[in-house]
Amino acid sequence: MMQRRTQFGAATLVALTLAGCARVGAQERDSIPGVTLGLVYETAYTPALAIRPFTGRFGGESAAAQVEAIIARDLRYSDRFQMMDSLPTALTGDAIDYRLWDRLGAVWLLTGQVEGAGDRFSLILQIHDVVYGRLKEVSRFALPNPAAKDFRMAVHRASDEVVRWVFDEPGMAATRIAFSMVIPGTNAKELYLVDADGENLERLTNHGNIVLSPAWSPDGTRLAFSSYKTGLPRIYIHELATGRERMIEPLRTGDQMTPAFAPDGVTLAFAVTSGERSGIFSYNFYRNCCLTLLAGGRWNDISPVYSPDGRSLAFNSNRLGTSQPQVYIMPAGGGEPDLISPYSFDRPGYFSAPDWSPVGGMVAFHGAIRRGRYHILVARVEDRGRRVRQLTWDGNNEDPSWAPDGRHLVFKGERRWGKGLFVVDVATGNTRTLLFGVDITVPEWSPHLGGG
Amino acid sequence: MTRRPLSVLALALVLVVVACRREPPPPPAPAGPTAAEIEAARQDSIARVQAQRDSVAAAEAARERAAQAERERVHRELLASLEAMVHFDYDESAITPQAEGVLRPKADILRANPSVQVTVQGHADERGSTEYNLALASRRADAVRQFFTAFGLDDGRFVTVSFGEERPLVDESNEGAWAQNRRAEFVITGDGGELTAPR
Repeated sequence: MMQRRTQFGAATLVALTLAGCARVGAQERDSIPGVTLGLVYETAYTPALAIRPFTGRFGGESAAAQVEAIIARDLRYSDRFQMMDSLPTALTGDAIDYRLWDRLGAVWLLTGQVEGAGDRFSLILQIHDVVYGRLKEVSRFALPNPAAKDFRMAVHRASDEVVRWVFDEPGMAATRIAFSMVIPGTNAKELYLVDADGENLERLTNHGNIVLSPAWSPDGTRLAFSSYKTGLPRIYIHELATGRERMIEPLRTGDQMTPAFAPDGVTLAFAVTSGERSGIFSYNFYRNCCLTLLAGGRWNDISPVYSPDGRSLAFNSNRLGTSQPQVYIMPAGGGEPDLISPYSFDRPGYFSAPDWSPVGGMVAFHGAIRRGRYHILVARVEDRGRRVRQLTWDGNNEDPSWAPDGRHLVFKGERRWGKGLFVVDVATGNTRTLLFGVDITVPEWSPHLGGG
Repeated sequence: MTRRPLSVLALALVLVVVACRREPPPPPAPAGPTAAEIEAARQDSIARVQAQRDSVAAAEAARERAAQAERERVHRELLASLEAMVHFDYDESAITPQAEGVLRPKADILRANPSVQVTVQGHADERGSTEYNLALASRRADAVRQFFTAFGLDDGRFVTVSFGEERPLVDESNEGAWAQNRRAEFVITGDGGELTAPR
């Protein structure tokens, strides 16, 4: 049985390598001198997963199909499985026949039951290792009433648990994405939230002006952002549970924007882009103290973001004196910045909007490989810009933000046929549309949102 | 006989009375102006004086109006000059020679009107990143402020604010629109509705 897994993996590897080779040939002329444009995707093994239709009892019958549909889509969006078409129970029987599922090609089988429990529900999930013919994990999840606001999120948390059982890695179903969207017919851009599966679109702010650059607190309970509510850009912190909001103003003058939370949850890094004191600062907003200039000068520094260990910051700057920005990293306390986006003297390139992978090691940003076209790129920090991977090939693409699984990126995309938010899986290159036909900027993926 | 003198007296009295009655009418008074004519004349002279006064006042008012219009025209021109936007090259925040031509007259007007405060709004075209364009547009507004302070104008008179690519002047995606959108705009306060022209 192990043999088939290996064969399947090898076939996938060959196929992906060939696809990658073809792309290398087609794109070589656009590459930057001295920089390798990596195109071959990691040959991630995507095992086949079958879902037996969920059953319901004790009043859970009505919710069973709905729960199954949410989980099936979450697992498809995880890009970790080859999702098998659902088969009717009549064909597969009530008892679990591992030999039958094996013949059908399944490597994993998910079964589920939804039980009524008063006003609430209980979901019992089992993941079966078909190859070894055994039950691998089983767990019970409490679900609120399907009419409740947090019902879908509770189901998403169960989906992430399935990913953890199989791969021992974090999922990203129980997450939301914050972004800024134009209010039609006005000059205003307000913050919105949407679930990672594109459901539950919700408006967050009502400032009647430009609101930009949302940043999630590490525990997912707060958002920092910049707003022109007073006419001048200032940083605000919004508490999601209560809706309470406050402006923080570490400096009396100067445009203050693009906040980012440090992993400690009380320190913000942000940019001041005008006036005598401009650059990247850190500030303890909890104690309203300890304003520190980390990097600054008579050039443009903006968009700081912390590494997951909190020891470094990536940011955007044109400090080399070029008119185009590059991506740098520096110690979180300030210090000599290092370039991590591709650079050559005759062709500096435009690289912007860095976001540090939550599982470390990689920074995503967008850049112009060919003049006038922006694509989503990923670079290993240790490569210092000598090698980048390009993840988009069509239209214009900006502002990547990592999901907490360290695999998916959400970004703003413009195609000939319209614009919206897209999600790409760094491992497989699979791309899906999250929201379409709306004028959206600066998406920011939340951390894993725990139960409440 | 005591009655005769009495009757003589009565006769005399009658005669006097009769005589008085018969006196001939006095010659007609010379044909002087009638009261109405006098009144009319009086009115005429008042009107004449008034007209004279009016014309002087009107001329004065007209002169005043003209002066006011001129002051307003000058104010409008100076304000337009202060508000005239400047443009930048792609991805650049340096003041171009054309922009310098627009900024120099502003500096002169600002020196002649020390109470005037200026908000410099920096803008970028839609290309590039949303956040980096905020920084770039900030730099543009800052470059304008530095141009003025280099002319000896007080730094405290200027506030800068960056709008990045959020407020395009022309909402189109072509070179012409982008060139117009890469700009600094000026919002003037404290001008008191009357700007003084520089000498």
